[in-house]
Amino acid sequence: MATYAILKLIWTGLLGVLFIGLGTMVGMDMGVGTLLRFVGRTDGERRTALNIIGPHWDGNQVWFILGGGAIFAAFPTLYGTSFSVFYVVMILLLFSMILRPVAFEYRSKADSRHWRASWDITFLISGFLPMFVYGAAFGNILEGVGYHFLWTGQYVQDESFLSYLINPFAILCGLLSVALSVQQGGAMLMLRSENPIYSRARAYGSTAGFVAAALFVIGGVWIAYMPGFSLTWLLDSAMPANPLRGQTVAIHQGAWLDNYHAHPILWLLPVLGTSCMLAEALMLRAGRPAIGWWLGVGAWVGTIGTVGAAMFPFLMPSITKPDQSLTVWNATGSLYGLTCMLVVTAIFVPIILSYTSWCYYVMRGRVRVQDIVNDPHSY
Amino acid sequence: MKLLRLAGLALALVIALLFAVFVGDQGPWYFAWVVGTVMIVLISGAGTILLDAQEENISQKENTP
Amino acid sequence: MDFISNQVVELSRFQFALTALYHFMFVPLTLGLTFMLAAMETVYVVTGRRIYRDMAQFWGKLFGINFAIGVATGLTMEFEFGTNWSMYSHFFGDMFGTPLAIEGLMAFFMESTFVGLMFFGWDRLSKQAHLAITYLVALGSNLSALWILIANAGMNVPEGAHFDADTMRMQFDSFVSVVFSPESQSKFVHTSVAGYVAASMFVMGISAFYLLRGQHRELAVRSFRMAAIFGIISSVAVITLGDVLGRMDYERQPTKIAAIEGIWHTTKPPFEPWIIAALPDDEKQVNHFEIGIPYVLTPLITHSFNQPVLGMHELEDQAGPRIRSGIIALTALRHYGETHDKADLDLFNAHQDDMGFGFLATRHAPNQDVTTIPAEQLDTVVKQTQPDILPNVFVVFWSFRFMVFLGTYFFALFAIASLLSLKNRLEANRWLLKAAMWSIPLPILATEFGWITAEAGRQPWTVFNKLPTFLSASNHSTGYMIFSLAGFALLYSVFIAAELYLMFRFARLGPDEHGAHATPEHLFSAIQGGNA
Repeated sequence: MATYAILKLIWTGLLGVLFIGLGTMVGMDMGVGTLLRFVGRTDGERRTALNIIGPHWDGNQVWFILGGGAIFAAFPTLYGTSFSVFYVVMILLLFSMILRPVAFEYRSKADSRHWRASWDITFLISGFLPMFVYGAAFGNILEGVGYHFLWTGQYVQDESFLSYLINPFAILCGLLSVALSVQQGGAMLMLRSENPIYSRARAYGSTAGFVAAALFVIGGVWIAYMPGFSLTWLLDSAMPANPLRGQTVAIHQGAWLDNYHAHPILWLLPVLGTSCMLAEALMLRAGRPAIGWWLGVGAWVGTIGTVGAAMFPFLMPSITKPDQSLTVWNATGSLYGLTCMLVVTAIFVPIILSYTSWCYYVMRGRVRVQDIVNDPHSY
Repeated sequence: MKLLRLAGLALALVIALLFAVFVGDQGPWYFAWVVGTVMIVLISGAGTILLDAQEENISQKENTP
Repeated sequence: MDFISNQVVELSRFQFALTALYHFMFVPLTLGLTFMLAAMETVYVVTGRRIYRDMAQFWGKLFGINFAIGVATGLTMEFEFGTNWSMYSHFFGDMFGTPLAIEGLMAFFMESTFVGLMFFGWDRLSKQAHLAITYLVALGSNLSALWILIANAGMNVPEGAHFDADTMRMQFDSFVSVVFSPESQSKFVHTSVAGYVAASMFVMGISAFYLLRGQHRELAVRSFRMAAIFGIISSVAVITLGDVLGRMDYERQPTKIAAIEGIWHTTKPPFEPWIIAALPDDEKQVNHFEIGIPYVLTPLITHSFNQPVLGMHELEDQAGPRIRSGIIALTALRHYGETHDKADLDLFNAHQDDMGFGFLATRHAPNQDVTTIPAEQLDTVVKQTQPDILPNVFVVFWSFRFMVFLGTYFFALFAIASLLSLKNRLEANRWLLKAAMWSIPLPILATEFGWITAEAGRQPWTVFNKLPTFLSASNHSTGYMIFSLAGFALLYSVFIAAELYLMFRFARLGPDEHGAHATPEHLFSAIQGGNA
């Protein structure tokens, strides 16, 4: 296989890793945000919950920025098209994401009850909405999106944003992603808190696990019966990336299962996802949050893996002009660009991982209510 | 242990030198930024230490008329 | 060819300008304050005097308030290229996305991870380790600026990428020439050091406020001294780099420099005056009145006494043939896309340098399609397109002047402040303290004018001479744009209100609050620090 084609595949894999990292790390913080008002009844408890993720949320949020940057560099056409197609939803996501850093920094800096209560609601919105949109976007992409390209490469949108919001399958995917994040947030809260936060987090986290497993199974059955896309002709997997030519695409019911029929080993992915969700719920219930947290990573691997295996090689199929669907083969950057980005990633990811884990090591230990209330530096 | 520390220092110096040569050649303004920033930080730091010294001077003069 | 309505393009531009300028209200402080915190902490580690730790923690708290909004509004920027400039992202993303992604990987991760440790790690790390963390935060935030400015330099002077007919976009081809292009280098240093100036003014102004009220004297005189020296060196550097950038524009972006200086007709060296004030009229293409200093312009811009500076009328004339050639290029390109005929590709390659000018003619072509212009209409289309190559002269001319006047003022203020601070005669000169206090927002204003000069001066292009702005935008309806604009306006107003409320509150409270609320752990480490 040509180098360029291999690079395209590597970057698709990295995109998957990025989505998993985003789900696990950002999802965890978002879950804590969603749970904030429920696990913490007093102001001290809420501040404790916030400070559990306090030293790390900022670093975790970079996954989100990194996601934007990496898609921009490695899949420029996908970046430009998908973000524009989902404009209204993306803007809502942005609004809730930009509220979060401010909420963290400002909430506890003034004593007024109204001030803090309004920021607590902000945490709820900015924890729930981004994860919902994250899942719903996957749902919409699985169903196909209405857009096509002009000869210059300019995209044209053929659908209203309402069809992305009011869409049962997308809502189901959105709720799945929220449930996974609540589960992961619950595990994190349990890891570093004491009662009563601990026991409340246990109740919410384990329930979320069961809900997630149920939604995941329903979604899987749904996908099997919905119209999917399949690539009927491809010029060359190493062709210059250009959505205007080089492939034909057909739509038929159940096409998303084609890859599973061709390679039955892929069925391990949905099995992994479901079992991790259930096992994490049980582990949280049993009071073993550390194992539960890692099972949560497995749940994200299983979920993103299942979707990726179903869609490959599609990244964002087009309903209105299926031949112009964005795929792994026609939406990436150039050979030079992908190589360059790969070298940079290979250098920096190990560095990032080492200093991030060092930071976790320095800030380890349980966070107690009385410490937080007395410490002038805390959130 | 001391030897190890010296070796580490030498390595850091060599890397710094290589960096200086490469960046100084390819990007003179980047190099100027690195050197300039270090300079600004050090000079402004020295300025406040000078203030400490000046204040000490004044209080000594006041104590010994 | 489907065409995006002018209204949507203008709204998209307005939204981008709004969010970018807003974001940059917070960035300069972050760039500079981090290095000032590092300087304070360095003195603390070297001398072991507790006052410097108090300084670092107090200014660190104000930095934190500012940093949060900087991060939040930066998120918007990262996604706005995709949400509002889809054609631009597709066309230029292969090269442009790379520095943006590296910014995330290399700088933003570092800055955001260590900023947590910087705030929370005082009691968990040794003095030296904490100092190292502070330096890493400072380096991280400036590296962040580095990659963003490298990307921005690529828009102004596209290097390291070429257009490819098979992918219909600019293909990235040289990492080194993108990173080390003179444009990237000088833009970064200019911007970073402008941040130092902003932070110096911030620290100096608040210290002046304390000195005026006779509060926290120990902390205020030290911070003032440090800020004044930080500021005077930085403002010299900003002016130097500004000159470098001007010369760069003269060589690579003649339309920008002509607009900046309000030059309608090619200059006749060496008499040509540098215009201090004028009223440029974009419609009639003249300056209504001019006040200038003779003999200054030529050496200022060209660094010589005999080189002319091209005027905007002459630049328009030069653009005529390029527009014709660009129309040929686009017609050939479209045929090549349909037939893959080698002859079309050769024709395109012969004219491809002018392709952007062909795109520019789209707006005036019949049916907005440059590939089907009837021969008899060609002259009219070219004639109508010619004035489009110029930016809005009035805006560029005046934003540049405001920036330069403010920069000169900072230089003078910092010079006097350093002198009086070194002589310990601050309190005797209350006018200076008042001036310093009221000047806090001015450097931020100056950087905003700088961005307006650079980016409004780049118009009508998003990728200079390659892709016009009006083609770069996403194809949204006006309703979408009003929705997002209203949301941004609302959110950002809430932010600025919250930020100012907290900033004033904490600046008024002053540094003493730390001691009053110190935990046993704090006191313990304070005693330890004292003994060491």
